[in-house]
Amino acid sequence: MEKSNLNNLMNRIQKDRDEMAFSEIFDFFAPKINAYFIQNKIKIESSEELTQEVLSTVWVKSNLYDSTKSALSTWIFTIARNKKIDFFRKNSKITFQEEDIREFLYQDREVDPIEENEAKKQIERINNELDEQQKIMIKMNFFENKSHKKIADELEIPLGTVKSRLRHILTKMQGFLR
Amino acid sequence: MNGTVVKNKLIFDFASGILGPAKSLFASTYLQLNSNASKISNTFENMLGENLMDIENIRPKNLTYTDCINSENIKSASNLKDPLSSFFGNLNNLDWKQVYKGFKEYTASIDDKDELKLIKMEPGVSVPLHSHGGKEYILVLEGSFCDEYGEYSKGDIQINDQKIKHTPIASKSTGCVCLSITEKDVIFFGKYGSFLNLYTFIKSFFKQK
Repeated sequence: MEKSNLNNLMNRIQKDRDEMAFSEIFDFFAPKINAYFIQNKIKIESSEELTQEVLSTVWVKSNLYDSTKSALSTWIFTIARNKKIDFFRKNSKITFQEEDIREFLYQDREVDPIEENEAKKQIERINNELDEQQKIMIKMNFFENKSHKKIADELEIPLGTVKSRLRHILTKMQGFLR
Repeated sequence: MNGTVVKNKLIFDFASGILGPAKSLFASTYLQLNSNASKISNTFENMLGENLMDIENIRPKNLTYTDCINSENIKSASNLKDPLSSFFGNLNNLDWKQVYKGFKEYTASIDDKDELKLIKMEPGVSVPLHSHGGKEYILVLEGSFCDEYGEYSKGDIQINDQKIKHTPIASKSTGCVCLSITEKDVIFFGKYGSFLNLYTFIKSFFKQK
């Protein structure tokens, strides 16, 4: 689906609480959010529950989304990431004496968002600079949160190489992040 | 890894959601005080968000859009703009512990492998030359300090590892308040303790290259 189309749907949800528009957003994003949780090693029973929580948040808090500040996928990604943190917190072996502070740190905080265009340009530049394997490694490390060992196994390269390549990627990205 | 790359790694790890509670609080305060860091985190979140667009779909089996509309377990929106005071309250009311004259600290009670501390230095006070066991992260909250490597003011962070030896001095006019993270070092005890400690020492020595 086109980004502009997604934004139209969001707009209809924000203005008219349009349930049909939401059903389209649901059809598009539910399988992606569910896949994100599964990639992050969350079992299918829980992943669907979390997917429901993410999309309920999208519906209930739709007014918090500002299309001039970020892409819809970015906003939804951050909601899903926050749910993931919360999930691992609750299921951690450590018993927390007090609430884990991450719960409030990752909730809808407003941080100086940059214009989407500026972000887009930077991302384009970074994407042009990185080769396919480097992009895959970023995705595995930061999106799927795989350990270095797991990345090494899946790409069939030595662990040391994974570490040095990731270091190299971060150094390379440095030039494009100001 | 040079300093800036380590800083970005912290930002990326925060955006991915993989930091422990102590570092999460540290990083979110950093993003709040430093607009450049905040922009980088934003760019990175946008990159990660693009991955969501390309992901291979796994359709949920037992979920429909009406479940999401009718779901009632959504917490009310919280707009916490200042993570630090949400956690510590008013910094002036904390039970600061004086380490020596002009240098006070307060250790947060967070269940984490990293230790989170607030540090307050009176104007002109210095810390004797020292190095670090694990990695140390320092974020300036108020005032400024300088050392052999430069000056650090509000919103700046310094990340130190074993090879850094420095003598920080708080600004003569303002003093400084900082937030710090210390990665706890593994110290071995028991029968083979001294041998293992020697081993980690030698290993860390070679890591410096």
